[in-house]
Formats: sequence, structure tokens, C-alpha cells
Amino acid sequence: MSKSPFDKLGERLTRQLAGYSSRRGFIARLGMTLAAAPILPLLPVARAAPPVKEPKTDFERYAQAKDDTQCNYWKYCAADGVLCSCCGGGSHTCPPGAEPSPISWIGTCVNPQDDRSYIIAYRDCCGKPLCSAGKTCHCDGADRELPTYRPQLNNDIIWCFGSASASYHCSTAALVGLAG
Amino acid sequence: MKDVHVTNAIRKYGLGIVVMGLTCGAALGGPVQAPAEAEVSDVASLAPDRPHRFFAGGWGSSGFVIFDADTGRMEGSVPAGYEANLSIAPDESRFYVSETYWTHGSRGKREDLVSIYDARTLNLVKEIDLPGRALVGKVQNFDLSASGSRGYVYVLHPASSVVWVDLKKQVVAGTVEIPGCALVFPWGEEGFSSLCGDGSLATVSISDSGSAKVTHTKPFFDANRDPIFENSFVDRDTGRAIFLSYSGLVYEAKLGLDTTVQKPWSIEQAAGYAAAGTGVQELAWRPGGVQLAAYHKASGRLFVLMHVGNYWTHKQGGTEIWVLDTKTHALLRRIPLQPVPTSGAADEKLPLYSSIGVSQDDKPLLYLLNPDGNDVVMDAATGEILRKIEFAAGHVVRVPGY
Repeated sequence: MSKSPFDKLGERLTRQLAGYSSRRGFIARLGMTLAAAPILPLLPVARAAPPVKEPKTDFERYAQAKDDTQCNYWKYCAADGVLCSCCGGGSHTCPPGAEPSPISWIGTCVNPQDDRSYIIAYRDCCGKPLCSAGKTCHCDGADRELPTYRPQLNNDIIWCFGSASASYHCSTAALVGLAG
Repeated sequence: MKDVHVTNAIRKYGLGIVVMGLTCGAALGGPVQAPAEAEVSDVASLAPDRPHRFFAGGWGSSGFVIFDADTGRMEGSVPAGYEANLSIAPDESRFYVSETYWTHGSRGKREDLVSIYDARTLNLVKEIDLPGRALVGKVQNFDLSASGSRGYVYVLHPASSVVWVDLKKQVVAGTVEIPGCALVFPWGEEGFSSLCGDGSLATVSISDSGSAKVTHTKPFFDANRDPIFENSFVDRDTGRAIFLSYSGLVYEAKLGLDTTVQKPWSIEQAAGYAAAGTGVQELAWRPGGVQLAAYHKASGRLFVLMHVGNYWTHKQGGTEIWVLDTKTHALLRRIPLQPVPTSGAADEKLPLYSSIGVSQDDKPLLYLLNPDGNDVVMDAATGEILRKIEFAAGHVVRVPGY
């Protein structure tokens, strides 16, 4: 039996989470959040609808896919903070000595190479002081960014829940899968 | 030697200085000046009753810097930790800082605190250990009850809750879970409201014995399509609240045990335009910034940083301030803003003002902050720039009386 796109996405997210989920206390707290909050979406991706037929945002119109140290790199459509690519890491890689947060918030960005929407997991790298990269590496994308009361879609929260130290170092943007 | 100097001065500046010199000489009882007195090393204190005092700080700064906007002088500063926030006691006797530290800088044991400072000496009075707090730079993540007897700290673990602090006894008094909701908008002494992801407000009442009750209003806004900015307002004494949405809708509410919300009105329509929609290629005047609006309680005036942009430009700073009367829903004035000059690098975007505050007295001043410093003090009635204040960091502005 073939799996639906959401099944596949769920599986990928679960596998990713499993890779980080040694901290049971944290997962328990997250579970409590989801169980105690029927008004929250069950999975953040459930609400991350693809902008398939909508006009593109300005970010999407001018995004590029070559240089991941620039704020207009396509996966950074809703990234807020210092790019780990400028700090010794990469677009989905923490710099040496930093710790990726076990969970992330979720965005949807259009890849200019194939014009398709992808789910992006915005995962903070934590446990070190703020990376002191230059000003052009400080980004503040806001496409589809919602306030704190929709935390899975908010980029102002320090997303270092569950890491050894919640001190924010820099931001990554990992491609999770197709949004559509 | 002195005589030579006087003679030279007479040649240079004429008779006026001689007359001045003679007058001073007579007052001192002779031409020979007494040696300067020895100085005492002492410590300044903050003057009371400065109606135009404001506090600037937040992400990236080491504390909240206190300015007297009437002179532009820095009066002092309140130190603050990670993602800190500051509340001012209603009687202005105390400053409260909610903050986070790690014992070894960015590592080690995490400590979340409400630190209490004396408002005259700026000496630390007490540190209250918190069970946690949200690390998110929003003004409404920490606030006080109307009299200042309680403090409310928003916590995100990522389960949402609010820790309430008894500020008379200076202890943590309890925790209330607010699943799906965030931030605190206090009313009276009994409780606070929070904004929720289903488009409702949570109403949280806490009795003196500590028992808490949480109820919800009916959903009145769409958190996915046109959410309400976190930077909204409540008058703690009356419960009158002003909520502003991304597209520029204003929802007036009366917060309390029986919270009521009125139908929204559009600030763009108040300016004679069509109401702004939510199109990603729909250019319209829109509110935007970090602390993007300010509310003057006594007059009911709302000051909003506005820019022309598409939907999802809610973080862009303002090119104008719109002054709105929330009682009559009228636009009173549009104040144009100039982007702040920078070093002049060709590819550098000129920073726009992204945070605004307003003093609460009857001759209000506006305080404008941008990410690069170069803050501005403006007459709220005329839009006249009264002075500029260089300030290195911060996007949070707090004022007494709010």
C-alpha cells in the first residue's frame, strides 16, 4: 500500500525526532502540550499549507539557490536570526560545538530550481553565545510567520527547548520534504 | 601670570570680559581664585517625577538604559540578563526585571528570575527564582496587576503557562496552565487575559487563596489568516484593551471576568483607503515593526508604525506614524519618518524605525527606536523631532505609568 504524502512527511519528522529524542523529560512535556491543547494543530505541518496557486511573495520571487550565506537563499523564507552557514556550519548543519534543538518550528518555502513548495524545519543551534557573524548574515524572513500563540509558526521564540543549554547560537533551515 | 592672562584677554575680547572679571572678582572678595575643593566619590540616584523618562533595551543589550527625554541625557541603567523584560511599579518605587542567566555565561545551570530594583538607588532589592520563563522578546511576556501587587510571567516549555508572583511577599505564588495561548494582558487585581491560537482570548482569574479559573471567549479573529499582533494594549485599571491585527484591524475589548470584544475597524479605512487585505502581492499601508505601536491611555490615542508593503511584511519598520483616536475610529495625523542615515554602504538597506513608545502624561512624547541606535524623541501632538539620542542597541521601550 502506498503512503500518502502526509504519511511520508510524518514518518520523516518522526525519524528526525527519534534521532534527537534522548531527553525523555522534554518529549513528555511536548506531549503534554499537544495532548492538553486540542486547539493546537496536531502536527505543525498539518497547517503548513502549500502556496501552490497563490501569487508568490516578494521573497519567493527573488530567492536564489546558490549561496546559503545570504538571507535570500530560498530555504530562509521565514528564518529569523544569524545564519549558521556564516558561523562554521551550514544551512542544515550546526557549527562545531553547538547543539541542534530537538524540535523546530516549521515553514514552507518555494524552491526556485523546481518551483515547488517544501516544508522547512527551522532548527536553532544552541549552547553557545550568539554567533558574531557580520550584519548581512542576520536575517529576518517573515513569510507566513505567526505570533507566539501559534508557536510552531513563530520565529521569535528561542527554539532551544530540550537542548543542554537554551542559549541561542544560530539558525538552520533543514529541508523536510515536499509540501504538496 | 594671572595678570598676563587678563591683559591678553582684554586685547582679545574687549571690555566686556573685564567687566565680567571685575564682577566675579568682587564677588569672590579679591582677584585671587580659591583652589578647587577636594571631591567626594559618591553615587548618583535617580530623580523622582520625570514624566518623560523612558527605558530602552531588549535583545542584544546588557540592560535597560534609562533616558530623560527632556534633556536627552542617560540617567542610569538597570542590568538585565537573556531575553529580559522590564516592568515599572505603578507607584514608580520599583523596577522589576524578568530575566534568564546561565551560571557559566551561555552554559551551566539555568536560572530564571524576577529581580527587583529600588527605583531611586537602582540597588538590587531581591531576586525571586522562577520555575521558568519564555525566551521570546515580546513586551507582553511580563506585566503587573493594576496596583502592582502581582507579577505575571509567561512561560513556554514549550507547554504554555503563566507563573504569578506575589510582589508584596516577593515569592512565586503559583502557576496556571494556558494551553494554546500566550502572553499576559492584566486587568485589575484578579487576573489577566491571553491571546490564543484558536482566535479567542483566555480569561484567567486567580483568587487571593491562589485558585485559578480559565475560561475562553468565542473566537473573534483568524490566527492563521489575519492574526493579532502580540504588541497590543490593555489599560490595567479599566481593562480597556486595544488589539491590532497584521492587516490593520483594531479590536477594542473590555477585559475582565466577563470579557467583551467589539467588532473591528480598519485603520486603513480610517485613512480613506480600502481596508488592507491579506494578499501576498497586495500593496497597501500596513502596520509593522518590532514594538510597532504605542497607546496613550488617557486620550485613547494609538500610534502605529506604518509602511507600504504586501502581506507578511509585518516585521518591516515604519515610514510613517499614524495617530488614531480609538474612541472615534478617526485618523488624526500622519507623521512621515525619515530612514536613519547609516555608514553609507551602497548595498545596505536604510534602517527604518521599528519600535515606538509614548509617555503617558498630558504632553506626551513619542520615543522611536531602530535597530542601529539613533533614537528620536518627538512631540506626539505635532510630530516635531525634539532631539536625537544615540543608543547602541535594543528594540524594547517601556514608559512609567503604563
